[in-house]
Amino acid sequence: MIVVKGLCKSFGKQEVLKGIDLTVEKGEVVVLLGPSGSGKTTFLRCLNFLERPDAGEITIGDTHVDCKSVTKNEILQIRRNTAMVFQLYNLFKNKTALENVMEGLVTPRKIPKIEAEEISRKILKKVGLGAKHDAYPSQLSGGQQQRVGIARALALNPEVILFDEPTSALDPELVGEVLAVMKKVAKEGLTMIVVTHEISFARDIASKVIFIDGGVIVEQGTAEEVLFHPKEERTRQFLKRILPASDYSI
Amino acid sequence: MENIFLLSLFIDCFPKLLSRLHITLYIVVIALLFGMLLGTYIAVVRLYKVPVLSQLATAYVSFIRGIPILVLLYIVYIGLPLVIGAFGVNINRWDTMIFVMIAYVVNTAAFLSEIIRSAVAGVDLGQTEAAYSVGMTRLQTFRRIIAPQAIQIGIPALGNTIVSLLKDTSLAYTLGVIDVIGVIKAISSNTYRSLEAYAAAAFIFFILSSILEQCFNIISRKLGIKGTISGQG
Ligand SMILES: Nc1ncnc2c1ncn2[C@@H]1O[C@H](COP(=O)(O)OP(=O)(O)O)[C@@H](O)[C@H]1O
Ligand SMILES: [Mg+2]
Repeated sequence: MIVVKGLCKSFGKQEVLKGIDLTVEKGEVVVLLGPSGSGKTTFLRCLNFLERPDAGEITIGDTHVDCKSVTKNEILQIRRNTAMVFQLYNLFKNKTALENVMEGLVTPRKIPKIEAEEISRKILKKVGLGAKHDAYPSQLSGGQQQRVGIARALALNPEVILFDEPTSALDPELVGEVLAVMKKVAKEGLTMIVVTHEISFARDIASKVIFIDGGVIVEQGTAEEVLFHPKEERTRQFLKRILPASDYSI
Repeated sequence: MENIFLLSLFIDCFPKLLSRLHITLYIVVIALLFGMLLGTYIAVVRLYKVPVLSQLATAYVSFIRGIPILVLLYIVYIGLPLVIGAFGVNINRWDTMIFVMIAYVVNTAAFLSEIIRSAVAGVDLGQTEAAYSVGMTRLQTFRRIIAPQAIQIGIPALGNTIVSLLKDTSLAYTLGVIDVIGVIKAISSNTYRSLEAYAAAAFIFFILSSILEQCFNIISRKLGIKGTISGQG
């Protein structure tokens, strides 16, 4: 389970997150929606301390931290309970697909190489890349790279995987293969927090949809509630812009 | 005709020049070794934007890179004893070679720091963040992800720097060091001829540079097979 309380983050004078509260149960898939610049990426990056929150509390699994007094060790602990899938994949370019997936097992977690390799091979197969073990990132398409990115996150068996617009850098014809993998792992009961504008994904998979604007949660509820019966005017405005007209009128 | 270029003298020059080659190579090796240490330190200070030190480092690099090595040699040779003398320590009796080494270290460090800095900066931040996100520490990230790629990026520039350094040592003789170039002075005052000696020096430097270049080509290629920066893996 993940509990976030009063998370705040500013860049200089600009307040980007103004007290975010969020609870995510085990196995839930939470989709974060919001206009560009609303703080979605910052929120995800605060959850694994790629960005240092100014205030707030974060509980992930059995690690609880107060952001104001967080220690190096606690940050490492949080990072070892979470995994992230990046918009631009961020694969290790000096490593093959297999090595990319193994790295998080071998180096930080000290899992023996043979065991790590076995786990990694299985997971690459699951994301449909069983034949691409030895390919370097530069030899893979965007969709394949992102699937390696997902495999790298899955291998860690984390409490939660954070996805930051995982398909928005992909050519349209490659989006499907990545979404398919995400749906597959969601159905296996993985806890996920996903920033995406793929409404079909939100509609089909999300247990909860959250609309963020201006650094606060404006509205949250089931996909049905937030996407199709929004209460707040700001949510309606936003959806009008990103939803095809037909979808919205359902 | 035979007075223009004496082949026998040319050949005779080789043993004499080569007998001082160790001085030239000594300058190169010391400059690289300590230049690498100082250069790495400067690069780290700049990469991590350490306050004050990083501004100083930036100024140092651009100043040193902007002045001719000959000028730097004299500044160190004349200036250093004055500066240190002001603190009551007399270093006028130091071996000239020490001043030469200091000048080349100072010079090489500036160039190497720039190579290291841009090589490390050339590994995109996204990979560092990905490494952190899988739970790696800063040191693990550097060792496993950044350094291997930075080395690959920096190797060609390092090769160029070493070749330039080798050629730049040819100015050390101006302070009286008897290296490969310094010995030419002695030969020409004995024989009243210098073309043969310079030709022999050209030959020696050319061969050494070519060997270095070849080595770096091979290293580059070796690293390129495993790495993928070029995109072909
Ligand atoms: N490292 C940073 N330094 C300064 N400002 C930042 C930084 N990261 C994000 N911001 C600012 O914070 C705001 C929220 O950004 P972000 O979280 O990326 O939004 P989103 O992902 O919702 O588009 C933006 O105005 C952005 O310019
Ligand atoms: Mg974003």
